[in-house]
Amino acid sequence: MANRNRNKVSKVTGSILPWDVIVIGGGVIGCAITRRFALLGAKTLLLERGSDILSGASKANSAILHTGFDAPKNSLELACMQAGHREYLDINTRLNLPVLKTGALVVAWHETQLAQLDKIVAKAHNNGVEDVALISKSDLQRREPNLSGNALGAVEVPREFVIDPWSAPLAYLTQAVRAGAEYRFNTEITSGKYDGKHWRLSAEERHFTGRFVINCTGTNGDNIEQICRQPEFDIRPRKGQFLVYDKSAANLIKSIILPVPTPTTKGVVLTRTAFGNLLVGPTAEEQTDRWNAPVDQAALQGLKDIGETMLPELSQHEVTATYAGLRPATGSNEYQINAEAQKNWIGVNGIRSTGLTSALGVAAYVENLLLKTYPDITNFGPVNQPDWPQMPMLAETETRAYQRGDGSEIVCHCERVTRREIEQAMTSDVPAECLGGLRRRTRAMMGRCNGFYCSARVDELSKGKISPPLAGDQI
Amino acid sequence: MNSFDHDVAIIGSGPAGIAAATALSKAGIKDVVVYEREAEVGGIPRHTHHPSFGLLVFKRPMSGPSFVRAIRKRCRGVRFETKTTITAIRAGGELDIATPTGIRTLRARHIILATGARETPRHARLISGLRPTGITTTGALQQFIYGTKAKPFKRPVIVGTELVSFSALWTLRTAEIKAVAMIEQNSRITAYRPASLFARILGVPIYYGATISDISDIKKLKEITIETANTGRQKIACDGVIFSGMFTGENTIARTSHLALNPATQLPQVDQYWISSDPVVSVIGNATHPADMGDQCYQEGLKAGKNVAVRLAGGIEAVCPILKINHDNNIKMTTPNIVRLNGSDTPFDICLHVNKPFTGPVCVSSEGRILFQKNLRCMPARRVKLKNVRLGSCKTDVNQTLNISLGHPN
Repeated sequence: MANRNRNKVSKVTGSILPWDVIVIGGGVIGCAITRRFALLGAKTLLLERGSDILSGASKANSAILHTGFDAPKNSLELACMQAGHREYLDINTRLNLPVLKTGALVVAWHETQLAQLDKIVAKAHNNGVEDVALISKSDLQRREPNLSGNALGAVEVPREFVIDPWSAPLAYLTQAVRAGAEYRFNTEITSGKYDGKHWRLSAEERHFTGRFVINCTGTNGDNIEQICRQPEFDIRPRKGQFLVYDKSAANLIKSIILPVPTPTTKGVVLTRTAFGNLLVGPTAEEQTDRWNAPVDQAALQGLKDIGETMLPELSQHEVTATYAGLRPATGSNEYQINAEAQKNWIGVNGIRSTGLTSALGVAAYVENLLLKTYPDITNFGPVNQPDWPQMPMLAETETRAYQRGDGSEIVCHCERVTRREIEQAMTSDVPAECLGGLRRRTRAMMGRCNGFYCSARVDELSKGKISPPLAGDQI
Repeated sequence: MNSFDHDVAIIGSGPAGIAAATALSKAGIKDVVVYEREAEVGGIPRHTHHPSFGLLVFKRPMSGPSFVRAIRKRCRGVRFETKTTITAIRAGGELDIATPTGIRTLRARHIILATGARETPRHARLISGLRPTGITTTGALQQFIYGTKAKPFKRPVIVGTELVSFSALWTLRTAEIKAVAMIEQNSRITAYRPASLFARILGVPIYYGATISDISDIKKLKEITIETANTGRQKIACDGVIFSGMFTGENTIARTSHLALNPATQLPQVDQYWISSDPVVSVIGNATHPADMGDQCYQEGLKAGKNVAVRLAGGIEAVCPILKINHDNNIKMTTPNIVRLNGSDTPFDICLHVNKPFTGPVCVSSEGRILFQKNLRCMPARRVKLKNVRLGSCKTDVNQTLNISLGHPN
């Protein structure tokens, strides 16, 4: 409660404070970095253009915690992914975040792919993922009996897991807020000036002053980087569309089914979700638009066909959701993380499609980079006993609020979200302020009926608390 | 046997569920409980305020809420438990029930699933575009307008021309919201032709042969793009889209249970007594034939309830061979979708929905022998009833199938 009050007060006076660290961009990377610096004791502010965290690239992904078995060797990406994977498993139970230890199978569907499996194993071992091994066609069929008989063999990657892609970043920011960090939504930074000591960042009429700026703006990374310097990369957004199948389909597979990757994409993945659905995607489409990722029927139909080719029984199940996301790819296959030492600026760019996995690792790397670059001026007082917020559990494999009984009725029947869960999502440390934020925090309206049963009720519960409202005028 | 918590547990309190409870109670079954996940009893009619109910049951047009009140009055000696969700059923009559205090497991001597139907929403139709607010279904619209009295938009487009699409038009009218257009992918409306007059009177154009090719705007909807065979692409300014109709059974409980599904339709397997593959579970109402009128579901529920009472008294031999029902692609589904061969030759009704309009003989045959034939006019999204089908001499041979065809069987 104290946090929330202070939050409200400083939303008015915030621009006066000289912040130690200002993080631009509330994607998974921005949230993890904000957490890291807040725990380090820095006065940290997160600025987000959208009306919630995860409004850009981090909104839509395949929710896999990767091992880095196929990442470029000796890359920063690989190091951050592995550090991120480790730290997630170290902290997830303390934050009440789920992990589905499904493992993955890289499946070969024709002879040329089968011939590549050995190389995949060798690369994985070279990347330090020692438990990766070849499995035979009969082993594959035994483990995944519903896969099409055309599967020829597979590589097993035991530590590829499924996580909740929205609760995790929310947990990072929540812990940061409890450690004293603040955030502002609907705040798009368009310019900034460095006076040799402080940055003054501007979002129209509002200004924010801080010593260090960290740019984590994903698909807008190159534009924001120009506030400080000419970027050495340009963002080439790559769109990925996904299909979500109903919960009845989730048990068709046990592991994450990965295709044999090509140099540009991991290809179409079949995976369960933490919420008990089955996901098929993504596509990989270059586009120039940095903000909008529309789905299109032909591509979705294409995914459906691919999914049904791999898993024939899918044709008997309903699609409950479709979505598309943008990956902040650059021309390079490496992360672009570096400091502009003279200007107290760190750019964290080109986090491609691996941000959910690497976020905690990237945050640790950035902290280290900052402490190393500015050894004289970075003496924050680390938080001794950080608070570990308990996130609402949305994973089907764990006990949900409706199962425990939280004293309130189920409002969203498809996803079994209780009234109290919805109410709490709007009064938490980082409350939902828009419909998307509410959906991601609770799963309300995310199910097979797309709000047929619960829209009006969700509107009633969220009236005056989210903007824009689900329905406008009263009759 | 005192290990049962209830004689009959009915899941869903729409017209079919209430009717089944009424019939069971009348037949002297003592402990009947109806579980409803919403706060109020009644199902879809609760928020369907136009007079499309009551004609068959009460011989007069009634609004949904009046209809619910009237059928509730007839249902005595039954316990209704609202805000109660059944999350699973298992063999042996077991149910997991979730209430505000958590989950518990119960056992009933018989379970009736009457979970109804819902419309196919935007995502399941794989519609292109972005996802602004204002995209909804008729069901959600009616809960806004009649339930919480909120207007989700001011000038929406209605996708579909089924009866429910005109119901959406009616609902909008009562809230003084003007629909901008109706969009139909075929060359005529799916509902009875005169319904289009209603749209014309309200000045709402119907675009035929049209589909949505884009929904633009990321936050608040401003326009959609449609594609028609004749005029190509065009934009329609609107702030809402109502995806109406294309009903699908709300069968999550059945689909995640031990019950067999019809392989072609993925709807629960039901016989002529509405009994599923598990003799202690019945599936009734729109869950097995998405979607018929409330009155039709009510009448069906009465019959199905009576059958359950007979079964509980040991009158229906449920463990016996079954006869599969086959049909061509012009038929969307049939109810029943199997026939139980219990030695009796009692006539039964078969209800079906077609995918395309058809006028002519609808035939039920077995091994080339015609058991039933009647000239009927069949339209999509409307129930076609084949009354008093008799198995006759094929009644004992399980190796045969029952074939239903539009036109004479080949």
